[in-house]
Amino acid sequence: MDAFLSPSLAISLPALARGLVHTLELAAVCLVASLLLGLVFGVMRYAGGRVLHALAIAYVEVFRNTPVLVQILWFFFALPILVQFEISAFTAAALGLSLNSGAFSAEIFRAGMQAVPTGQWEAANALGMSRARVMFRIVLPQAVRHMIPAFTNRWIELFKLTSLASVIAYPELVYSAQQISNSYFNPVEVFTLVAVIFIALVIPASYLLRRLEARLRRSAP
Amino acid sequence: MHYQWDFSVISDNAGLLLWGLGNTLLLTLIAILIGTPLGLAVALMRLSSRRSLAWPATVYVEVFRAAPALVQLYWLYFALPRLTGLRLGGFEAAAIALSILSSAFLSEVFRGGIASIGKGQWDAARGIGLGYPRMLRTIILPQAIRRMLPVFLERYIELLKTSTIAATVSFGDLLFVAQDISYRTYRTLEIFSAIAVMFFLVILLCSQLTRLVEHRLARSGEFTAR
Repeated sequence: MDAFLSPSLAISLPALARGLVHTLELAAVCLVASLLLGLVFGVMRYAGGRVLHALAIAYVEVFRNTPVLVQILWFFFALPILVQFEISAFTAAALGLSLNSGAFSAEIFRAGMQAVPTGQWEAANALGMSRARVMFRIVLPQAVRHMIPAFTNRWIELFKLTSLASVIAYPELVYSAQQISNSYFNPVEVFTLVAVIFIALVIPASYLLRRLEARLRRSAP
Repeated sequence: MHYQWDFSVISDNAGLLLWGLGNTLLLTLIAILIGTPLGLAVALMRLSSRRSLAWPATVYVEVFRAAPALVQLYWLYFALPRLTGLRLGGFEAAAIALSILSSAFLSEVFRGGIASIGKGQWDAARGIGLGYPRMLRTIILPQAIRRMLPVFLERYIELLKTSTIAATVSFGDLLFVAQDISYRTYRTLEIFSAIAVMFFLVILLCSQLTRLVEHRLARSGEFTAR
C-alpha cells in the first residue's frame, strides 16, 4: 500500500484530471455524431430507394467488419496522404469512433423501426401524411423505445473505446497515464487508478441506464 | 500534387502480412480457448446459491467488463512487472488480457443460456439421479450452448477485432506488421488500406458463417432467426 501514498501520484492527479476531461469530450462528440450517422444511415436503409439502401449497407458493413483501432490509425496516418492536409489526433479518433459506432447505431435504428408494425404506416398514409412526416411523427417515436437497451450498451462500449485514442497520442486518460508513468516510473499506481476511474464511471452509468430502461418499459402502452 | 498509388509494397511484403494475419488469428484462437471455459466456470459460480462463490464471480464480471480492454492490457504489461517482478511479453500480456476480457463477457452469455433452460429439465435430471456435473454436461449445457451459439460467435468476432490492441505492446499481429512496413517504406496509405481490406474479408467471412449457423439452428427449431 506504500506505493499508493507515494508523492508521485499526487503530482500526477492534475494531469489525470485533464486526461479525464479529454476522454469525456471525445466520448460526448462521438456519441452525438454516431447517433446522427446512425439515424441518417438507418433511415436510408429502412426507407431509402435502391441507391441509398445500397450506400447504407456498404457503410454499415465496412465499418462494422473492420477493427476500430485500424480505422482510427487509417484516419490518422493514411487519410492525410490522400487529402493533403494534416488531421489532428482528436479529429482522427473522433472520425474513427463516430463512424464505427454510427454503423452499429444504424443497425439499431433499423431494427427498432422494423419492429414498428406496418399497420402504423397504412394508418398514417390513410390520414394523408407525407413519408417524412410518418417517419418522424409516427415510426421513430415508437421505435425509440425498442432501441434504448441496445443504445445504452453501445454508449458504454463507445466510452471504453475512447481509450484507443491514446494510440495516436490524443491526451485522454490512458495516454496521460502513459506519460505520467514514463516520467515518474509509477505504472502500478497510475494504471490502477485509471482502471478504477473507468470502473467507477461505467458501473454506476450502466446501473442508471438500466433503471431508465426499466422505467421506459413500464410506461410503454 | 497528385498522390501516386503504389501497391507493389503489398505484394513485396505479402509473406509478412500473412504472417501477421496468422498471429492475429492465433492470438484470437488462444483467447477463445482459454476465455470460453473460464467464462463457463465464472457463470457457474455466479449461478451458485453459495454466496462465497457467487460474490467473487459477480465482482470479476463487473470489473473486467467495465475497464477498457486497452487499460487491462497496459496494466498487465506495464504495472504487473513492477508489482511482482514477473515480466510478460507482448503476446503473453495480450493473450491473458483478451482471455480474461472474453471470459467476463462470455460468462454473461453462458449465464443467460443456462438460465433459459426450463426448470423441468433440472427436475427431470435430478429425478433420474444425475449428479450436478453430469446433469450439466449431458442435459443443461448441450441445450444452452445450442441456444447461445450465435451470440458466442458474435462475441468471438468482436474479440478478433479487439485483438488488434496487441499491436500496442509490440506483438507481431497484422496491425503491428503494417505499422512496421509503413515505417520502412512510407507507403502508409497503401498498407493501412490493405490491412483494412484483409480484416474486412476475414471478418465478413466469419459473420457469414455465423449467419449460416443461425439459419441452421432456426431450421432445427432451436433458435428464431431475425
